[in-house]
Amino acid sequence: MSFFKEFTKGLWNELPPFRLLLGLCPVLAITKNANNGLGMGLAVLFVLVLSNMIVSLVRDIIPKKVRIACFIIIAATLVVAVELLMQAYAYPLYQQLGIFVPLIVVNCIILGRAEAFAAKNPVYLSIADGLGMGIGFTLSLTFLGSVREILGAGSIFGYSLFGESFEPFHIMVEAPGAFICLGVILGFMNYLSKVQNRRRGLDKKNVGSACSVCGGCTACSRGNASA
Amino acid sequence: MSNMDKKILFSMSAAPFWHCGRTVRGNSIHTVIALALVLIMAFWHWGLPVLGVVALSCFVSMLTEEFWNKVMGRSSTLTDGTAFVSGMLLACLLPATAPYWLVIIGAFCAITFGKMAFGGYGANPVCTVVVGWAMIFVSFPIYMDPNAMLLQTDFIDPLVRLKYFGPANVEASIHFSELLLGKQIGALGAAQNLGIILGGIYLLARGVIRLEIVVSFVFGVLFLGGILNMVNPELYANPVYHILTGSTLFCAFFLATEFSGAPDRPLGMILYGLCGGMLVIIIRTYGIYTDGAPFAVMLINLLSPYFDMIQPKPFGVKQ
Repeated sequence: MSFFKEFTKGLWNELPPFRLLLGLCPVLAITKNANNGLGMGLAVLFVLVLSNMIVSLVRDIIPKKVRIACFIIIAATLVVAVELLMQAYAYPLYQQLGIFVPLIVVNCIILGRAEAFAAKNPVYLSIADGLGMGIGFTLSLTFLGSVREILGAGSIFGYSLFGESFEPFHIMVEAPGAFICLGVILGFMNYLSKVQNRRRGLDKKNVGSACSVCGGCTACSRGNASA
Repeated sequence: MSNMDKKILFSMSAAPFWHCGRTVRGNSIHTVIALALVLIMAFWHWGLPVLGVVALSCFVSMLTEEFWNKVMGRSSTLTDGTAFVSGMLLACLLPATAPYWLVIIGAFCAITFGKMAFGGYGANPVCTVVVGWAMIFVSFPIYMDPNAMLLQTDFIDPLVRLKYFGPANVEASIHFSELLLGKQIGALGAAQNLGIILGGIYLLARGVIRLEIVVSFVFGVLFLGGILNMVNPELYANPVYHILTGSTLFCAFFLATEFSGAPDRPLGMILYGLCGGMLVIIIRTYGIYTDGAPFAVMLINLLSPYFDMIQPKPFGVKQ
């Protein structure tokens, strides 16, 4: 049951780009079309699941003081593997994504999940967490890419939707379009959870349920004495 | 009945208690009067399509504002007239023969992303109209290009000639007086320089817009344009051409002066205007666009919080 819970939290309640606002660099930069979004999401999914698994396996061996460096090395190794695999089997996609494939190393989600979850939990839960977060990330990127591609180019996954007479709303595939789309989606998600909270009779102001991951509120109110 | 039973002991309204009688609605009415002069000139040059574009733009702006107010559960703000003014200003930046869907998308984006997304009138960091204009200008460059949209005319487009044929060609083919009367290809309202100047003077006299911004904006164009012209007159045109073409004057009088995007102290306003004017020249001379005046307004609007830091002083304090 716990496995299922850790898996599903990444799909909606703690959806990485739209709830936790993590990994925004690829979210904004490579979602010009649905294809790139899906490809990038799958690459991150691969790295995230394996890095969560490895970090969880070695969590008792690594000394606390050097753990961040170790996490980065694990992630970097996996990213190089992904990069070489993409060069071998999906070269056009690799060319499209360009610098953003190596940049997965410094993606906040990888390090964030390793630090916040995998370093504290057993292997099977960490894999569930990585799978959930990775699939959530993939779906978000594909969704954002589809919206931008439909509006900005009139097609989805490269298939034309509206025919010849359609005038594409070109700004959506440019950089400002990414910010506009992301902002509208975030606003819509917050509005949705506001409505949900109102229906459940909860406090209106407590918008997302993603607060619990950060734990910043409790840590801050306690002060740094215990840390 | 229960309300009637309650005794009101002490009723009080919130500050301020003194009013000078100026309202947002009043400012909007003055702006509409000033713009009417511009639109009369536009009607004289381009005929009936002008009315269609302006009416559609105003209607969609007001409809969008009302829609978002309904969604956000706020009371209607239509009566303050700012949505109507935004619609008119946006229409002035479009070509006279703009297709209906372009006007609808532009007005919708202007009000949604330029104004209501930030919380309504006065909360927007960038001039409402410029946001909508930029979105459709980047998306549909051909439909926004007056030179491509106004084919049945004897006028010429001075900015395109300036960019591709050099200043000598422009100076030979068009005179200042023709530019002043709007006998040039340009956006529907932004090319009607005489109407803009008269309307602008009316607004200045009514205190709706600030003299500092307008004068320093125009001076910025003259200053940088003049320097470039002195360095190489064969390559860089007389700065007066830059003022009377495209939407420079329109931006100086109507767009750069929007309250929410402009600084609120005189020195800040002067620097703000100077930056805007010089940016117009920089964009036109070195950029890819023939007319970059609204982009210049957008950039200085984003800089205006920094201009606000110059000589800050609480309102009403005597030094």
